[in-house]
Amino acid sequence: MAAAGDEPGSDPAGGARFFCTAGRGLEPFLMREVQARLEATQVEYVSGKVFFTTHSDLTSMKKLKSAERLFLLIRKQLPIAIPSLSKGKLLTELQRLINEDPGSWLKAISLWRKLLERDKKGEKVSQRDVNVLKRKMGGNEIVLAKKLKPEEKQMVEESQGEGQRDGLPEDSLEQGDAITKTDQLQEHGLQDDMVKAADTQNQDLTFRVSCRCSGNIRKAFPPQEAGRVVGIALMRKFGWKANLRNPHLEIFMHLSDTYSVLGIPLFRVPLASRTYIQTAGLRSTIAWAMASIAEIKAGALVLDPMCGLGTILVEAAKEWPDVYYMGADVSDSQLLGACDNVKAAGLAEKIDLLKVSVTELPLPSQSVDVIISDIPFGKKFKLGKDIKSILQEMERVLRDGGAMVLLLSEDHHRYLRDCGGNGIPLTSQDNIADPEMNPDKRTGTSDTASPSCKTSSSQCLSRVLPCGSLVPVECFKVSLGKTDAFICKYEKVHAPGLSPAGHHEPGAHQQMAALQESPHLQDSSEPQSSSAQPLQMGAAKEQPC
Amino acid sequence: MKLLTHNLLSSHVRGVGTRGFPLRLQATEVRINPVEFNPDFVARMIPKVEWAALVQAANTLNLTEVPKEPTEGYEQDETFLRKMHHVLLEVDVLEGTLQCPESGRLFPISRGIPNMLLNDEETET
Repeated sequence: MAAAGDEPGSDPAGGARFFCTAGRGLEPFLMREVQARLEATQVEYVSGKVFFTTHSDLTSMKKLKSAERLFLLIRKQLPIAIPSLSKGKLLTELQRLINEDPGSWLKAISLWRKLLERDKKGEKVSQRDVNVLKRKMGGNEIVLAKKLKPEEKQMVEESQGEGQRDGLPEDSLEQGDAITKTDQLQEHGLQDDMVKAADTQNQDLTFRVSCRCSGNIRKAFPPQEAGRVVGIALMRKFGWKANLRNPHLEIFMHLSDTYSVLGIPLFRVPLASRTYIQTAGLRSTIAWAMASIAEIKAGALVLDPMCGLGTILVEAAKEWPDVYYMGADVSDSQLLGACDNVKAAGLAEKIDLLKVSVTELPLPSQSVDVIISDIPFGKKFKLGKDIKSILQEMERVLRDGGAMVLLLSEDHHRYLRDCGGNGIPLTSQDNIADPEMNPDKRTGTSDTASPSCKTSSSQCLSRVLPCGSLVPVECFKVSLGKTDAFICKYEKVHAPGLSPAGHHEPGAHQQMAALQESPHLQDSSEPQSSSAQPLQMGAAKEQPC
Repeated sequence: MKLLTHNLLSSHVRGVGTRGFPLRLQATEVRINPVEFNPDFVARMIPKVEWAALVQAANTLNLTEVPKEPTEGYEQDETFLRKMHHVLLEVDVLEGTLQCPESGRLFPISRGIPNMLLNDEETET
């Protein structure tokens, strides 16, 4: 099946080829997600993009949580070799993207129509799923969700921040099957007719091209110009009409030094903008990715002790039901924002909030199954002492075997990595699945850095954090835009010689563990301070035995 | 604050130890949020509950329908689960206080969010 999709018609079921853009570092999460959610095959990635084949409809694909945007692939091929080409040759190369294999374009268009049609039908059937914000662009009735930016401005913006980041393993790109094999063949063998049919329908099609150029090609060819060249070629070839403001069809083109890719965006609103999140704190895709490796199981108690606006909690609660979530923060304004977000997402019964300091959690030891948190990056927490006290307190409330997933700044990550128990220094490459390796880095790490989500944890397991029982499991470098961060997962192991309670904290919490096991016994064995015990409560305490 | 949350909280005032549980609940404003009944979710939460503390909290809120203890085979007992669903998830304490039973320290609940922040003198360090 995996191989079958390569040739048109060779796979009767004929899945279509798509790609999603993703934040740098989230590719492994997205690869795993398309496999799990869409049963995708032929999953491969480049920096910032994941390519896959699936039979899923748009409704299923809309559920992707770690992706930015979803595209139907028109073609993916080797990069245009800039240095060797004159400007004239460059133009020819660009035009070849269209003229070389017009069939791939027509097939993509036809499939695109089918996807939208099927989606529209599906939507009529289940009106309650209608999602106002994520309205698709469909056929002739496009609704512009927001005012479009002037085309050129958008192009320029899109091409920024990408220019310098294109050191990619090329070998993953240069597949011969650059072309979308998009035959959703209800009528196999009738490809020619289909193409013709699509062609006649396409006479009135309006389109625009959004181009993004990065690396050397950007210097040689500004994105606006490349977009214009391709646009003109499309008009000539297929007779479509350009419409920058309100086209039926958008063509997305990304020319980099390692590949050229063309696709059709399937939703106007990015997958990453959630309808259920009012005010996003942390990026929703990152929040989801963190929750996705936290092993949240039904019946669990999940804590985010620095929840901010509650993005992690909301993302987790949407995906993993039958779980109780608690969010804590010290800031009233953040908590009120979180409260609004939780209510707006319809998750109020699953998420409760507390005003609490992460270093003094009012929870019994070993009471929490999972901790997920975005450790503030700023100067708020000093590296040594503060981070340590945060970790110790989180370690205390986490049960043995429980998972802790943290988003760490580079500084915090380095600190935790370097002050590990047995002092074996690990370079970041050793324990990070970094799919976006630059060539230098790659040579040294090609063995360990893999696109799979599970990194080799054997090395990590020999190392422990300064606070004893937290063992690093896996770690991913991700981009937050201007800065990079690390999603780090730890597991609390039971350390007999290192009783977390006894070792790390005085009095109170040590006894809480015992209390959890037998509250009544514990209660009665503790002398009650009568002065602090109003009568009513004393009575209530005895009652249930 | 839901009673399930109350059930998980314990006072962390210095030196209080296990005697900081359960926090004494007083409510001046309680809201009932109707929530869709999800038997699986409720059943999953029952093992987490410290029953005595829950009964005590429910009494202070004059919620009479709390069973004295989980029934045998409660996973299948819809009547029981519905009661627990209401008590644990639908009852929302908006304004009131939580009091450390040992030190007497009061923690205010405001707009549904308990403020459990301690002063420097109260902390364990």
